Amino acid sequence: MKKIALIIAIMAGKFASCLSRILGTGGTSIPGKIALRLYPHILSDLAANISEEIFIVTGTNGKTTTTNMLAEILKEKGYKFVHNSAGANMITGITTAFIKETDWTGKRKIDYALLETDEANVPLLLQQLHPRVVLITNFFSDQLDRYGELNNTINLIKDAVRDTDIELVLNADDPLVTHFKNETGLHCWYYGFEATNYDKLQGEASREGRYCVFCGQELLYQRFHYAQLGKFCCSECGNQNPESNFTAHSLILTPKIEMKINDIEIRSPYQGFYNAYNILAAVSLAKLVGIEDEIIQKAIANYEPRAGRMEQFEIDKRKVTLILVKNPTGLNQALATINTEPTPKAIFFALNDNVADGRDISWIWDADIEQITALDSNIEAIVCSGLRSGDIALRFKYADAQVDRIYIEDELQSGINKALSVAADATYILSTYTALFVCRDILLKLQQESITSADLIDQKQKSSESQG
Amino acid sequence: MADFIIAHLYPELMNLYGDRGNIICLQKRLEWYGHDCYIEAIPRGSKIQFNQYDLIFMGGGADREQKLVVNELIHQSSELKLEIEQGLPALFICGAYQLLGKYYESSDGMQIPGLNVFDFYTRKEKNRLIGNIVIAASLRGQPFTVAGFENHSGRTYFENEELRALGKVISGFGNNGQDGQEGLWYKNLIATYMHGPLLPKNPILADFLIETMMNRKGLIFKGGLDDHIENYSHEQTKKRILG
Ligand SMILES: [Zn+2]
Repeated sequence: MKKIALIIAIMAGKFASCLSRILGTGGTSIPGKIALRLYPHILSDLAANISEEIFIVTGTNGKTTTTNMLAEILKEKGYKFVHNSAGANMITGITTAFIKETDWTGKRKIDYALLETDEANVPLLLQQLHPRVVLITNFFSDQLDRYGELNNTINLIKDAVRDTDIELVLNADDPLVTHFKNETGLHCWYYGFEATNYDKLQGEASREGRYCVFCGQELLYQRFHYAQLGKFCCSECGNQNPESNFTAHSLILTPKIEMKINDIEIRSPYQGFYNAYNILAAVSLAKLVGIEDEIIQKAIANYEPRAGRMEQFEIDKRKVTLILVKNPTGLNQALATINTEPTPKAIFFALNDNVADGRDISWIWDADIEQITALDSNIEAIVCSGLRSGDIALRFKYADAQVDRIYIEDELQSGINKALSVAADATYILSTYTALFVCRDILLKLQQESITSADLIDQKQKSSESQG
Repeated sequence: MADFIIAHLYPELMNLYGDRGNIICLQKRLEWYGHDCYIEAIPRGSKIQFNQYDLIFMGGGADREQKLVVNELIHQSSELKLEIEQGLPALFICGAYQLLGKYYESSDGMQIPGLNVFDFYTRKEKNRLIGNIVIAASLRGQPFTVAGFENHSGRTYFENEELRALGKVISGFGNNGQDGQEGLWYKNLIATYMHGPLLPKNPILADFLIETMMNRKGLIFKGGLDDHIENYSHEQTKKRILG
């Protein structure tokens, strides 16, 4: 009987998947939702088909990019694996991913499962799956709005992994992550950075994890990589960064990331320190799986940025970069990258406050916008757009941006047009989640139009040359 | 020396949801009015001379932080009360608002004593009151609206009928989700659950605090800043809530 229920659930899930592909909506969570309703054990049953390991990647920032990079490495190696897509990181989305990879009988063998999930979802997931590894990227407070306070989330994860044989892969540079070992007793692997040329001696005023989790003393830092990530120690109880198993050094961030992880040379088309962390996390996991250096190098080198993760467009000879922003740390990193651009630039910022963006937009005040409004920063225009255009415009105003260069255009299309109309060589399109794909479609369309018109001019020139 | 000094109490403990935006707002507006303003971060373990400051500010914090702050300030609560009584401008947001009361009762019935500056208490309940909020307030007989965002599990109840709320809830929860009141306005002190942060898109309140700061120094407040972005943001938020 159980088996029939499983098959019915898989069929229903696959059917819903087909249907949603045709309709173009709801493809990532509804199939899983229906299947779970029909057969609540479906996830643990399908997970039994994983012949090697299950990996869970969680943390506030970077889980999507980290899992995508690891997926690229597994693909390069030729493994079969389940991988849930970005945004589908609740139980229903993960179930959908399993249904997609299985066959009608629910028996197809798969090598690995690579699952990214929201922090608050980890306990529930661990009730149904038995992963070998849980990787924690970092903890910042962007989930505050949805789940109450950061400490609660951290404690929930700790309780969920305690007394299991899970191995943890931890960011050795984040004091909010490193203490998992002491409090869970699990086997831990660490990844971290040595000193880099991009480190700062001073931390941001509003950073998390300022105090030692064990004794409450303010942590002393030798250097900050970014936010609370850095080399720290506690003068009271000796709490400090653990020794890394996977150590990144010789980091170069511009124009593209280059570094060494232990002795593997890594090159990536990505930019930004936070992406260097994502690469480091993915490579650490790949090494734990036992994948060869050459395969890792090749996969990382070929892996291009995805939607909104420093995605590049070219529109009328301008460099346009699309960046997803969702919390102060991510925004600080985006602005730091924008600051390295020497040419005149325009910024477009779409701020929405739908549920998927986080309804509370006050996080924009915790970001260090001031870093970009310094007088010599070459910003020709700041176009503020989206449902909360006024709030982001105010944030720029109070960061001392020139008021006559702040424009409010609620509508995304007219806002992007405005940003592309000012004299600037580089345009940065920053967007929160629910405006991201609309912005992306607008940019793709503009890019296509500019290619077509360039072709036309080209053809005209050619034909006039041949006539002349 | 700076024209004005704002004391930011325990920024390392009490600083949630963009609270520092309120300080940035006061400092910038003072600057635009032609005065410089120094922000003094008050760390734990300081003896505070309240009368040295032109305004005191404290933001929100989680339970653990609130307890630490009460332990810090409890020895100075009578001085704080005296200064507030004498008109010291002050802004207390969310968790900082709660600890001005008599006590804070956690969901398991434990009472954490407050600073007892005002006759109110706060009881924590399981579900949080989260969302955009608009309230109706008035200043010198002129009605105006205040818009922001609230996120709190505590319900605050006044025990003294003379306490005056900051305003009446038009949409949202306010002090306790029941009596339609939001915040507390006493002389030059404003305490509220509204973050967002509060001041940037509510320039009337920002200017009220600035005006009182200036008056106490014998300066005349003339106003006159171009607030079109502030007002745009205020109206947009209001429209987003009220439709
Ligand atoms: Zn310590």
